[in-house]
Amino acid sequence: MILSTRSLTKQFGSFTAVDDVDLDVAEGTIHSIIGPNGAGKTTLFRLLTGVHAPTAGRVTLEGAEIAGRKPHSIARKGLVQSFQLTSVFPRLSVLESVQAAIIAPTRRPLDLVTRYHRSVEGEARALLARVGLESVAGSQANSLSHGDQRALDIALALATKPKLLLLDEPTAGMSPAETQKTTQLVSELNRTTGLTILFSEHDMDVVWGISHRVSVLHQGAVIAEGSVAEVQSNPEVMTVYLGEGEPLEKLPA
Amino acid sequence: MAALTHDERLVPSAGTPRPRLKSFGVAALAVVIVGGLALAGAFLPLSTALDVRNAIGLALFAVATNLLLGYGGLVSFGQAALYGIGAYTVMLGWQHWGWSFWTGFVVAPLVGAAAAAAIGVIALRTRQLYFALLTLAFTQLAFTLAHQQFEFTGGDNGVFGEVLPAWLADERQGYMFTLGVAAISCFLLWRVVTSPFGLTLRAIRENRDRMEALGVNVYLHQLVAFVISGFFCAVAGVLFVVHTQSAYPQLLEWTKSGEPILMAVIGGMFSFLGPVVGAFVYTLGQQELVQQTESWKLVLGVILLAIVLLRPDGLAGLVSARPWRRLRRSETEPGA
Repeated sequence: MILSTRSLTKQFGSFTAVDDVDLDVAEGTIHSIIGPNGAGKTTLFRLLTGVHAPTAGRVTLEGAEIAGRKPHSIARKGLVQSFQLTSVFPRLSVLESVQAAIIAPTRRPLDLVTRYHRSVEGEARALLARVGLESVAGSQANSLSHGDQRALDIALALATKPKLLLLDEPTAGMSPAETQKTTQLVSELNRTTGLTILFSEHDMDVVWGISHRVSVLHQGAVIAEGSVAEVQSNPEVMTVYLGEGEPLEKLPA
Repeated sequence: MAALTHDERLVPSAGTPRPRLKSFGVAALAVVIVGGLALAGAFLPLSTALDVRNAIGLALFAVATNLLLGYGGLVSFGQAALYGIGAYTVMLGWQHWGWSFWTGFVVAPLVGAAAAAAIGVIALRTRQLYFALLTLAFTQLAFTLAHQQFEFTGGDNGVFGEVLPAWLADERQGYMFTLGVAAISCFLLWRVVTSPFGLTLRAIRENRDRMEALGVNVYLHQLVAFVISGFFCAVAGVLFVVHTQSAYPQLLEWTKSGEPILMAVIGGMFSFLGPVVGAFVYTLGQQELVQQTESWKLVLGVILLAIVLLRPDGLAGLVSARPWRRLRRSETEPGA
């Protein structure tokens, strides 16, 4: 297991946002987290990336304890996320953004005298080609379309050479065409590089299409876990989704 | 949407392509500016040359401040404290411990850097308004200390006297020294902003949470920027001593911290030379205004207002205005 949590819990006052979660993500898999709105997906991700410190429980990345560490320190260990709301560097060029991301987890950001970031330009361009942004390398990040900013966001995370990529609703707010492009990109990244991807998603077609494993979160707790087929046929999952008023056709059994 | 995107892709971003051509252009520009100022120092009437010398020192102050403001996105009202500390270190060392000017010249930037580290360690734990207020509080603290410790600092009178060696006290030679120190300092700061650290700092300005998520210790990097800025603000303070052979409490007042910020805004804080342009416009323009009208502060205020409203990129933005204008148009008129 590349990432494991044990009894991971987060309380805000008397509200338990994440409740005793045991999660195991196997290396090289695409593992998705689904659940209705407010199920605790985003909080769970924030615990994993160090934005929130857990109230109780453990998180291990490749066997090393990471719970309670600072976000930048967790990122350096190889757990890097792409944000739910696209988060880029508005007034940097696309190329500069990726260059900044490539050097971010190294010691180079404190390098005051060299021009080292220029020597990673080739690497940055190669990465942009991989996510389909090579033609806009010179543009300012905030001039890109929403879908392209999303792709840049993913490229930023990839630039740090993560061991595990966390995607928080990568297709949120996307057109069907953009969704398909992103889904393809995620699936391809996993297939060609063996990158482990943990992602949360609302679009069930995306989830069923590319996941190896699925965990279902409800009111902060994991109520089901397994392969796509196992989760789809799980009666408790169906109840949760029907109870929350999710459209029936999104859960083809 | 798709058509718009295609159009926007043509928008070039400031400062990436063709590095070799660009660095040649930068070197040529630097030679022209420094050479022109050297000629000005040699041939202008003395009183004008002295005004220019004053502007050169303040230009360094503004460039050093802009490392935080324009590159780091940090509005610090603590820079006057560091500027004043630079000047006071030279003058107090001379008065109390018999330091030569050169000892003060070497020690002052180090004291400035140390003071910046102390202020930064605390102030950088906060953000935005609270950061600005904390740095302002430190400036007021330094002002109060300088003002009240009469025995040591001379209180309101400050410290003054013949601190400079004879050749530096010569106004034209002092001018060349000021120009040389400011030019070397600006070159070093240029290296910093074009280094991996400079890129990281700009990325933090744009989106600090994202940078943190990518593995950068934002606090540490902002602190380093603060210390570097403090070092060079103190160098500018030393240049003030070269100009006036004195140090007094007004240097440490928080309104003094506003000056380099205004200069950067006037000249353009998103370009390296913007603050230099701003410093010259501000100092020399202020002198003109004072002669023309009693209400020069009002005129200055109106000019500032006009710049902020009409030309947020400052005067330097005029040079590279086109891509920005196109960008802004495409933002405000989607589908145009």
